[in-house]
This record gives sequence, C-alpha cells and structure tokens, in this order.
Amino acid sequence: MPESLGRHGKAKSLQNRRRWSERRFALALMTPALIVTLFVVFVPLFYALYLSFHKAEIVVVGGRGGLLAQFVGFKNYLYFLKDSRFWYSVRVTSYFTVVSLLIEMVAGVGVALVLNQEFFGRGIVRTVFILPWAVPTVVNARMWGLIFEPHAYGALNGLLQALHILGPTETINFLAPIPIFRNVPLVGKVTSWLGATQGINWLIVGDTWKVLPVVALLTLAGLQTIPRELYEAAEVDGANAWQRFWLITLPRLRPVLVVILVYRTMELFRVFDIIYILMAYTIPVLAIETFRQAFVYGLFGKGAAIAFLIGMFILLIAFIYIRAIYVEEE
Amino acid sequence: MRKLTFLNLLTVLVLVVLTACQPASTVAPTKVPPTKKPVPKAVTLNALYMNQAGYSDKVLLDMANKFHEANPNVKVNFTFVKYDELHDKIVTSAAASTATYDVILLDLIWTAEFAHKGYVIPLDDKITKKTRDDIAPAIFGAFIYKGKTWAFPFLANFQCFFYNIDQLKQAGFNGPPATLEEWYDQMVALKKKGIVTYPYIDSWNQKEGLTCDYVRTAAQFGGDLFDKDGNPIMDQGAGLKALKFMRKLVDEGLADPASMTTDEPGAMNAFVSGAATFNTNWTFVRGNMLNPKVSKIVKSARTGLIPPAKGVSAPAGSVSGFQGLAIMANSKKQDAAWKWIEFATSPEVQGQHLKSEFPVWTSVQNSAEEKRINPDAGFYATNLANVHHRPKVPNYPQVSTIIMEDVHRCLLGEMSPEQATKDMVTRIKALD
Repeated sequence: MPESLGRHGKAKSLQNRRRWSERRFALALMTPALIVTLFVVFVPLFYALYLSFHKAEIVVVGGRGGLLAQFVGFKNYLYFLKDSRFWYSVRVTSYFTVVSLLIEMVAGVGVALVLNQEFFGRGIVRTVFILPWAVPTVVNARMWGLIFEPHAYGALNGLLQALHILGPTETINFLAPIPIFRNVPLVGKVTSWLGATQGINWLIVGDTWKVLPVVALLTLAGLQTIPRELYEAAEVDGANAWQRFWLITLPRLRPVLVVILVYRTMELFRVFDIIYILMAYTIPVLAIETFRQAFVYGLFGKGAAIAFLIGMFILLIAFIYIRAIYVEEE
Repeated sequence: MRKLTFLNLLTVLVLVVLTACQPASTVAPTKVPPTKKPVPKAVTLNALYMNQAGYSDKVLLDMANKFHEANPNVKVNFTFVKYDELHDKIVTSAAASTATYDVILLDLIWTAEFAHKGYVIPLDDKITKKTRDDIAPAIFGAFIYKGKTWAFPFLANFQCFFYNIDQLKQAGFNGPPATLEEWYDQMVALKKKGIVTYPYIDSWNQKEGLTCDYVRTAAQFGGDLFDKDGNPIMDQGAGLKALKFMRKLVDEGLADPASMTTDEPGAMNAFVSGAATFNTNWTFVRGNMLNPKVSKIVKSARTGLIPPAKGVSAPAGSVSGFQGLAIMANSKKQDAAWKWIEFATSPEVQGQHLKSEFPVWTSVQNSAEEKRINPDAGFYATNLANVHHRPKVPNYPQVSTIIMEDVHRCLLGEMSPEQATKDMVTRIKALD
C-alpha cells in the first residue's frame, strides 16, 4: 500500500470514528427526549388504537380498578360510520373549521400586512395585538359568554341598547341554535343540514378573536423574509399594489400559509372548549362526541375509535393542503 | 443506517418493556371478601366534591376541621370541581388500582351505573334502622339499586317554584298559581300587560337540567317518563302532555327563548335580575334571590309549590336531584371514609347549616330551628315529598342524552312533541 494511500486511509478512519462519536453524542442527548416522547405520545397512541378495537369500560373488581376490554374488531368504527349523528357531527365540525379558517386567513394576512408597514407605535400595537392569545381558552369562552348573554345585562345587548340599536326591552339571543337563512327556500335546508346556526357563527367570532394574533404573527414572520428588492423591482416595472400582493407576497407566503393551514385545521377540527362551555351538547362537534362517548358514557373503545377517525380526517385534509399548495410551489 | 438501526432497536426495546409493564387488559374476576381493618394512624382521606351548588367549599372545609378536631388521626383533603366534571373524575379514579378519591359525591343518577360497575361499596351494614327511619324513603330510595344502598344522603336537592310577587300583583294576581292551568293564565296575563317580555325562564339547553325539567313537568301532570320496570313511556300520558306544554310555552312566547341556551345558574340570573316572573329551579336559587349582592328582587322573591295540573291528586310535582356521599370500592381507607360520612351527614352537623341547605333528616326538617331559619320550609317539605326520580338504569347517561336531544329539537320546532317522544322511545329501546 502506498504511503499516501495509507495516510489517506488513516485520516478517513479517524474521520469516520469522529463522526460515529458525534452521532453517539447526539443520540445520547436525544435519548431522554425520545423516551419522554415514547411515554407521553406513542404509548398512549398505541394503547388508544388497541382500545378502539375493543369494548372497553372501567370496572372495579375485588377492590382493584381496571379496564375490562373485549375485542370487537372494527365494530366501534362501523358504529360511527353508519350513524347519521356522527356524519352530522362531521358536517358541523367541517363548517366550524372552514368558516373559521376563511376568516382567520383573510383577516390574519390583512392584519399582518398592516403590522408589516412602518408606522408610529408599531411595537406597541404588535404587543397589544398579541394579548388575546395569552387569554386561556376557558377564560375566553366565559368572557364571550358574558358578552353574548341574551338578557339586558349581557355586554353586547347592553351596548346595542345604549346605542339605541335595540329598544329598551329588546334583546338578541346571539347563541340561538337556529339555522341561518332558515326561511330561504333550499338555502335554509342546506344550512340546517350543515349545522350552520346563528349560535355557531357567533362562537366562530369569539374563537377567531383569540387565535387571530397567532395567524397574523406567523404570517408577519413570513412577510419579513420577502426581500424588499422584489417589491422595488415590481414598482419600477409598474406593478400596482394588488399585483405586488398577488404576484410576490402570496406566492412567497405559501410555505408559511401551508403551515398555518395545517396547524389551524388540526386545532379547529378538534375544537372543544368554547363550544362545550357556552353550548354544552347543543353543537355536537367531533371532540364533544369523543368526550361524551369516553367520559360521559364510559365507552372508552368508542371514544378511542372516534378520536382516530378525527385523526384520519385531519391527515386527509393535511394531505390535500400539501398536494394542492406546497408541491405546486416546489 | 447504523444510527437508524440502533434507534429502531432502542424504540422496540422500550416498547417491549413498556408493554410488559402495561396493566392487564382484563381485570381478574377474583372477589376479595370485605375485611374490617382498624383505622390506621394519621390517615388522609381524599374527598371529591363540587364547587357549584349545595354546601360551599368554605362550609365543607369548616366541617373537615371540626371532624379533624374530633378525630385527630384522620384528615380530609378536598378536591372541588364543577358538577360537570364530577362524573369524569370519579370514573378515572375508579380506573386506578388504588382510588384517587376515597369519598365521592354521588349524584342519584349515577347510582345504578356505579353500583353495576362496582365503583362504590354498599353501605347497608353500616346504616342503622334508627337512621333509616329518620330519612324519607323518597331520599334513601334514590341511592338504592338492586336492594342495596350505595350512598348516604347528603344533599336534599330538588326543584322548587320561585316567583316574583310584585310582578304578579301588577298583573292583578294576589298569589302564586295553585294549578298548572292557573300558572299558564298568569303567564298569559303578565305578557299581555307587558309587565315582562317573557314571564318564565328555565334551563333548557342540552344538558342534564333539560332532562330534569322534562321529568318535573311530567310530574306536574302526575306521571313519569318510565314505567316501574324502567321502560320508556314518554310517548303517552304525562310524558306527552308535558312536552306539549313546554312547546306551547315556547310557541306562545311565554317561556324565554334564551332558555334553550341557558343552564340553571343562567336561568336564576335572569330571574333575580327581574327579567322573568317565574323560575322552576333547584334549592340554591333561594339563597341567591334573597342576597342583595346578586339579586334585584330581594323583597319580591318568593318560594312556592310547583303547581300540578288540574285533576292530579298530588299537591305538587317536583324532580329529585339528591346527592349522597359514597365510598370508592378501590379505596384503601374505607373505615376512615365511613367515619367522615357519618360525621358530615349527621343531623348535628346538618343542623348547623340550615341557612344554606335543607336537611335530609326528617327530625331536623321538622325542628323549630329549621322553621325559624327557613320560613319556606313547609313549601320545601311538600315539594320534596312529591319528587319524581329520573330512571335508575346503568346506561342512564345515554338515556338522558336521547331525552335532552329530542326535547331540545322539539322546543326548537324541529320536531312535533309526538315525533320527539316517539323517537325517544325508539332510540332508548334500541340501546344495547
């Protein structure tokens, strides 16, 4: 073996050993996090999957509590897939998700564009704008409950009376579970089928108020990565504001928008707090049905099955988003 | 590649270990005979209670301190939750090999479910005949399932009739209605004269309160939603009449449409603000309507009998919402738990809190002290004597869901009372 080749071989071996040592070090650093993830994510996940194929209920026998599980195959899944109430839950959850997303995305991008401009007090406005996000979800729900209170002492009714938009004895029941456009032929039937009620629309307002800052700030972060030169060049070429937004801003924001869409869809599809706190079981979104099956009825197998069905719906939607937006962008 | 292989190996290894550590999927059906152990030294009891209605957390903590003074070796540690969270907490506590909570507050509607699944222990061998004789069978009966008593009565909660006498007088009436028909006439007059926009408010959102209100309205018509064997019969007799009456109140604008999105505290808030003349609600309303900090109708608020329909022999029709104290079957401190239950439910302790709650003991209900403190004790006693229970079946939560869904849809005008009651019967019978 020539000397140079031997030296080269030694150097390579040393490099390999160093790389292997670095990998081991990295692995050692990751191991605690991996074990924690395993405990808090994968074990419960596989256990829930196991439960979804069983008729599972909690019993206490001989002074010891435990889960009594009887294998039922796909029965739990088929139960929901054949149940018209489950499909109503899917429709009403989809309505909440789609309408909320539309408002959040349009308003979020709009607010981000404003916050991206330079104006006096921009730092303060940005700080104040983030505040709703800091409000806990339960507090947010209770707060909107006080605002939507259907009597004269409700904040919104009181305001409308003070402004003489409502008479002194008039009040609005904002959260009334009445289908919108119910007196319009055909449209009323569609809204009723979708579960699009006056109540759910006001709940969307309450929920959007809280999450809009997140959407706007993520979009703002995306906006700040777009080079100013692109806009300057476009201006030189005579592009107007709309063309600059449509041809530069939006395409450049696509990766961020995909992340926001997937994240918000996941959040919205499993909405629970604001609906349960203000409407109890009146709006049976999927998360409320899951809670009811598992914790009210004590049917943990069915609860796990419906949770996995929600997961599959979210996966499907995320797949569609990525195919439609992200790949196209590449 | 080697890194991946190592990671995969590690993952599989941990999974195998964890799977081996998993609790068995089935509980071995071995029955351990109940053993009486002496109360150990320095026991801390974990008790689950609600912080919504009934005895307040302050009162409970005060009771626990007095109990600790009398029993220095036992300390009671409370967890207070909202009523809606109680059931879930109890179920998850039952899932553990050793109970998270030793003593729980058991709503009467869970008696059958908890007894059937073995969550709580029967208390019959601990209850003396003298004790049984001093508590009305209507109260004790709520906690009896398959011949055994699963909780000791703690809260004598039931619905009462609350009204605003000043508004009634403005409408030309001297007093509350004696019958359901008179009640309807009074509501019509109140609305017609513009004294209130909606004379009546109730808790008709899709929650347990709606099922209770439907059971109570059927009781006002002198009947029940289920026969004595637990079969649903709401599509006939009192059940059908009750739903027709509730729907009529909505259609004619006598019941506040906000009822459909309101729970019991919300309905009370509207009543104590003066927005409604009538409210049928649980006993907690009385304390609030007479409290000037929260009520605008302190001087005009009154309690009365829930008016029965003409021809019904009972003087009132109400619904029970009793709650008892029970011992978890997986508790390791059952003797100490019973000591606490004996103390907290005793006539002496209940006699110290007559201002806040109606006692479960007949002797205390009839005492001069109770009559002095609660001038409405007579109405309370009559409403209590005429309570109707919700069905005692292990799958009660599912049964109640069906009732509240169909009643709610009927009140929203999506179904007729006939369709709704028929649907309830069909769906309840189809439950496995």
